[in-house]
Amino acid sequence: MRNAPETADIVIVGAGASSAAMAWRLSGKGLKIVVLERGDWVDQHRSPSLRPDWELALQSEYHANPNIRRAPADYPVNEVDTPIKPAIFNAVGGGTIRWGAHFPRQHPSDFRVRSLDGVAVDWPLTYDDLVPYYDLNDRMMGVSGLAGDPANPDRAVRPNPPLPMCPATRALAGGFDELGWHWWPSDAAILSVDDANGRSACNSCGPCGLGCPRYARASVDVTYWRSAITAGIELRTGHVVRKLEMGKVGQVNLVRYINSNGHEGTISSQVVVVACNGLGSARLLLASGDGDRDGDGIANASGLVGRNLMLHPTAIVTGVFKEQLKSYRGPFASALYSQEFYESDRERGFVRGFQLQALRGQGPLSTALGGYMRRLPWGTGHHSRFVREFGRTVSLTVTCDDLPESENRVTLEPGNRDRWDMAIPRMYYRLGENTKRMIAFGIDRAREALEAAGARDVVVNPLARQAGFHMLGTARMGLDPKSSVVDADCRCHTVDNLMIIDGSVFPTASAVNPTPTIQAIALRAADRLLARLGMPQERAA
Amino acid sequence: MTTRDPLLASFLGHLLPGDHNGWPTASTLHLARRFREHVTRTPDGTSALALILDHLGDGFMKRAPDDANALLLKFEEEAPDEFERLVVAAYSVYYTDPGVLAAVERLTGYEARPPQPLGHELEPFDEALLANVRRREPFWRRINDILPSDRE
Ligand SMILES: Cc1cc2nc3c(=O)[nH]c(=O)nc-3n(C[C@H](O)[C@H](O)[C@H](O)COP(=O)(O)OP(=O)(O)OC[C@H]3O[C@@H](n4cnc5c(N)ncnc54)[C@H](O)[C@@H]3O)c2cc1C
Repeated sequence: MRNAPETADIVIVGAGASSAAMAWRLSGKGLKIVVLERGDWVDQHRSPSLRPDWELALQSEYHANPNIRRAPADYPVNEVDTPIKPAIFNAVGGGTIRWGAHFPRQHPSDFRVRSLDGVAVDWPLTYDDLVPYYDLNDRMMGVSGLAGDPANPDRAVRPNPPLPMCPATRALAGGFDELGWHWWPSDAAILSVDDANGRSACNSCGPCGLGCPRYARASVDVTYWRSAITAGIELRTGHVVRKLEMGKVGQVNLVRYINSNGHEGTISSQVVVVACNGLGSARLLLASGDGDRDGDGIANASGLVGRNLMLHPTAIVTGVFKEQLKSYRGPFASALYSQEFYESDRERGFVRGFQLQALRGQGPLSTALGGYMRRLPWGTGHHSRFVREFGRTVSLTVTCDDLPESENRVTLEPGNRDRWDMAIPRMYYRLGENTKRMIAFGIDRAREALEAAGARDVVVNPLARQAGFHMLGTARMGLDPKSSVVDADCRCHTVDNLMIIDGSVFPTASAVNPTPTIQAIALRAADRLLARLGMPQERAA
Repeated sequence: MTTRDPLLASFLGHLLPGDHNGWPTASTLHLARRFREHVTRTPDGTSALALILDHLGDGFMKRAPDDANALLLKFEEEAPDEFERLVVAAYSVYYTDPGVLAAVERLTGYEARPPQPLGHELEPFDEALLANVRRREPFWRRINDILPSDRE
């Protein structure tokens, strides 16, 4: 006789940025909510940034590419057919353990791409639908910044004042001013002042991506998860979900997992929420279904699960200055941005637009290895080149809106399995023609800005490769079940107790870092779920 | 130490020779040992190491500097991926060595200590910097009441 499976009201798979926001919003209502996360907790009080060899960690245990990092919780990804390699982190906190915490919002026009620009699709949501959730999320994450940016709709006073500038970013701002171009200090999920919950203000150490022992840089393990767990959410680490099994009535019946002791278990849940990011969620859905091994995929009547992968192709343009700017001081990715070229202007030869985001300089080893530029030469010229570049650089990303293309996708390799006996995912991605024109135009503008700022050399990396940070689009939302996987509330059209809440649901990519929007969507989806369950909701704003 | 460490030290010394401004050379046995340990922990590092040792041969240490560099350039051309792995490993051990970091401090003003817990002082944000951009009218596109299109 088989044991009856454990039961829950809601199971959430993954404990990253989206999951944390949703779980917190659902907590304290008397629901039994179990979160299954393949990774473990990361002790940020023991961040490598406290060690003399901290820069080695960026090449190894903190490398963003799971194929290089190869940590116990990582799964391999076939990346042969994509020039942009996967960048994820499998742990409680997901990508926010490793991220730069740049925290911009999408523009209203990003939600009406088809109607305004005649390409791709519209979102079934508007900017206004998300504003209360953007605001709530800003407070939960502890955002620093400044309202009043003319490139964006006005927004509430930021929870904390903006982070400091440094000589390098001041020079850059001067360059934008000289050209008459827009720039604005970034909204950053990094505290500029101490908060009341034991998080300290940023001390400008630089490598936010190594975790933050001060908890100044937000990651959801220190923001949402603390409160969610206090309010009764059960988060189980070391639990790899291998499969979602369908029952007889067109609903997910069982969540099948294997834990770090090798124990295989199942949970039967009223609602199942998938939050494994644009790569991991597509993989899990494609591997699910009936039967013992791989199914045929679930929630996939549209055939769109895994398709329309968008990765924000990014060029990095670096200015080398004559002066020693000590540009390695300050959060590496959260300083300022320009959205001068964000909105469509067909005269530029492409539709949609891009964001220029400032990146500060790097430590000695990263500089020698090329940082955002090229590796320094070996031999007699090495040391003088190092002195010429170290601390004297500031870069601009050209972060491009990425149009959905059906051929860009995540698939499974059934014959190639990981140590949890799951088929490994394969990424297939090519840059579209529109993007190629946009990136070329953006590189020229970034060069102009850096020259206006006073750079004596400008070095172009035309496509950042280890930069698949933003995995979007692989289970998109929409009104029509034939052309989308979930509805505006993140509920699968064809499996009504299944939700997908991460960046997979983005119909289009916009040109900004996605996490504020991912989390706002997850918070809103939580409220819509509570309404469906007849549970009380709190006001978002 | 292994018997090949002197050869490795010589190889490292050609990659990172040091100079009269105070940059240390990488050709010390202590770095050779760290290099060997480091490179064999990296993907495909062990085979790259075996390949270079084979290519250089014991005679490498006796070669004149130009001659030795020519041999390295030839290897770089013939086995670019393996050579790159070795260079990355060499830079990795060099730029995390306390002696080298002390030189970085002396020569550039960098503080040779981990980023935390001390961090750095930066001046608070000065809103006067925004004087120009604040004069801009809002320039984001309004969507008014456009309902979502279901076209593709
Ligand atoms: C280096 C780097 C820098 C970044 N910088 C920024 C930035 O500055 N601004 C910004 O907005 N975004 C940034 N991002 C992106 C940001 O981290 C992601 O957008 C965000 O984390 C996505 O949230 P998510 O919930 O969709 O997925 P994730 O945060 O990736 O969480 C998914 C979770 O699911 C777990 N999981 C996967 N499969 C399974 C399974 N089968 N069973 C159980 N658990 C599973 C994973 O372990 C992971 O914890 C960056 C990312 C990286 C890697």
